[in-house]
Amino acid sequence: MKKQMIISVMSKDRPGIIASITGAIYKLEGDVSDLNQSVLCNYLNMILSVSFNENVNKEDLIAEISHIKTECKFEVSIKEIDQGGEKIPPPEETYIMTVHGPNRTGLVYGISQFCADHTINILDLATTLKGNRFSMVLQLDLQNCPSPIETVQSALEDYSEQSGQTITMQHNDIFQVTNEVTLH
Amino acid sequence: MLRSDQILATVEMIQKENLDVRTVTMGINLLDCRAESLEKTCKNIKKRIHHFAGNFVATCDKMSRKFGIPVVNKRISVTPIAFVGAGLKKSDFIAIAETLDQAATDVGVDILGGFSAQLEKGMTETDREFIDSIPEAISRTEKICASVNIATTQKGINMDALAMMGTTVKDLAEKTADSGGFGAAKFVVFCNQPGDNPFMAGAIHGLEEADAVLNVGVSGPGVIARSLERLIKRHPMPGSLKLDELAEEIKQTTFRVTRCGELIGRAVSGALKVEFGVVDLSLAPTPTVGDSVGELFKILGVDAVGAPGSTAILAMLNDAVKKGGVFASKNVGGLSGAFIPVMEDAVLAEAVGNGSLCLEKLEAMTCVCSVGLDMVPIPGDTDAKTISAIIADEMALGMVNAKTTAARLIPVPGKKAGELVSFGGLFGASPIMEVRNSGQSSRFIDWGGRMPAPIHSFRN
Repeated sequence: MKKQMIISVMSKDRPGIIASITGAIYKLEGDVSDLNQSVLCNYLNMILSVSFNENVNKEDLIAEISHIKTECKFEVSIKEIDQGGEKIPPPEETYIMTVHGPNRTGLVYGISQFCADHTINILDLATTLKGNRFSMVLQLDLQNCPSPIETVQSALEDYSEQSGQTITMQHNDIFQVTNEVTLH
Repeated sequence: MLRSDQILATVEMIQKENLDVRTVTMGINLLDCRAESLEKTCKNIKKRIHHFAGNFVATCDKMSRKFGIPVVNKRISVTPIAFVGAGLKKSDFIAIAETLDQAATDVGVDILGGFSAQLEKGMTETDREFIDSIPEAISRTEKICASVNIATTQKGINMDALAMMGTTVKDLAEKTADSGGFGAAKFVVFCNQPGDNPFMAGAIHGLEEADAVLNVGVSGPGVIARSLERLIKRHPMPGSLKLDELAEEIKQTTFRVTRCGELIGRAVSGALKVEFGVVDLSLAPTPTVGDSVGELFKILGVDAVGAPGSTAILAMLNDAVKKGGVFASKNVGGLSGAFIPVMEDAVLAEAVGNGSLCLEKLEAMTCVCSVGLDMVPIPGDTDAKTISAIIADEMALGMVNAKTTAARLIPVPGKKAGELVSFGGLFGASPIMEVRNSGQSSRFIDWGGRMPAPIHSFRN
């Protein structure tokens, strides 16, 4: 029986961080099934999904990571989960939302509140700031959204007008079929 | 998650560049609707269409909303009616056309095609009755489109049927003179007509097909135009961009466009439990600005459509579109290529108006496009034999080149070359094209009989 853990690590970025962290996992015979990392303002944040043998626990992993020689301390948090390690495909009602417009405060809050109001779960979110132009791409799960898609689309149009941002929302499958060779 | 640049490129394509699924067409077999009486036959036809297409429009609309891609037309094609009505008379065929029109209205589709006959070799008595019925059947109905296949590469050209085509086109235009001869826009003559084409007026449900099938027609000349413009803008230095790179861009963009059609087609087919047939990727223009095939000629380097080089550009365009489409879809069929329907394309119509595009050049261009002389308005006083002879030239191109060609000519009653005709909506408007050497071909048409198939048809 394997034990599944979600590990989150934040630290100042430097060459070799990923090698250090995955090295510590390797020493405990952990198997990395998924990893996501990004760097913002020279700070690296990484989230990993790893399976270990049953006898390995959170403390062992924290101890192993604390042995890594580094200038900036790692901030680590670990959760044990029940789910298996296999990749869960996005739900059928997955949509991609894009938001563009002049930068101002409250943009991420506004759109995430819109999603919350419609019981839309944000699966992924990426933002870019170029000059004063802010753009945001969100992957959304609408399967628990109580309203039909046309109601959400029209509410989104109203929100887009009122916020001064150009907002579009299209089904995830469109992006997949137009950008990937394999058609599922 | 996908890369942001891929996402943004796709959003551009859908939101700003007129990407749509031009048509989802349901093909329905009517062969076994034939009964002992005309009344019972009509009843069976209605029942069959209601059975298969009852939820068709609602399902297309639902999928269109789900994916956020407009499905512009919902259409039906049926088994060529001359087969369904073997042994019937002219008035019976008119009654069937009215039944089909009623059934199309009942299920809410935009157009129904398949009021058709296959006459590439010989004609039966039924076929003659059927052809006689076309002008009245089409002028009495609203949603029915007619087509006749009079030639194939295998069998040659049926010159007796060809002679009847000129008269049929003239009658159709004259019977609908109050709308500028609009009836002729709903009738098309083919060589090598495909049985799975979802586009009108030439859609039929071929004899080789299953009971019901869904074919999807995707378009998007606007999407191709904008992607080419972006590529050209990224290469401002002269000589830094070559023609093969432009062809590659067309191919890749076509791939994306076709994929959207494949997605919608599979979704509708899954929901209706009707077999998914083919995706027909055809650059079909609409009169909307920015949704023109003619515009692509200018982007690719000729300043006037019809100028030397136009045929070569169209050859490349047609080929690149086919290559992108073939890879994107499990089954590509129908016409798949570039359409050059004069009235439906604002830039082509403009070229007719300013004299850069003449009928002879248009004919040359149809050697390398995917259909033929499409939506071409000609003077109302063009005689029937000259019309048959124009069609004969177009049929010969298809026959010898082993490709589909078609002619949809509209002799606009009471109007002369250069005058404007407008049908409105997707059918568009154009100045009338001059027909040179009118009245010089009657002895040729009078021979009748058959034009033999070309030598390369004997591959057996």
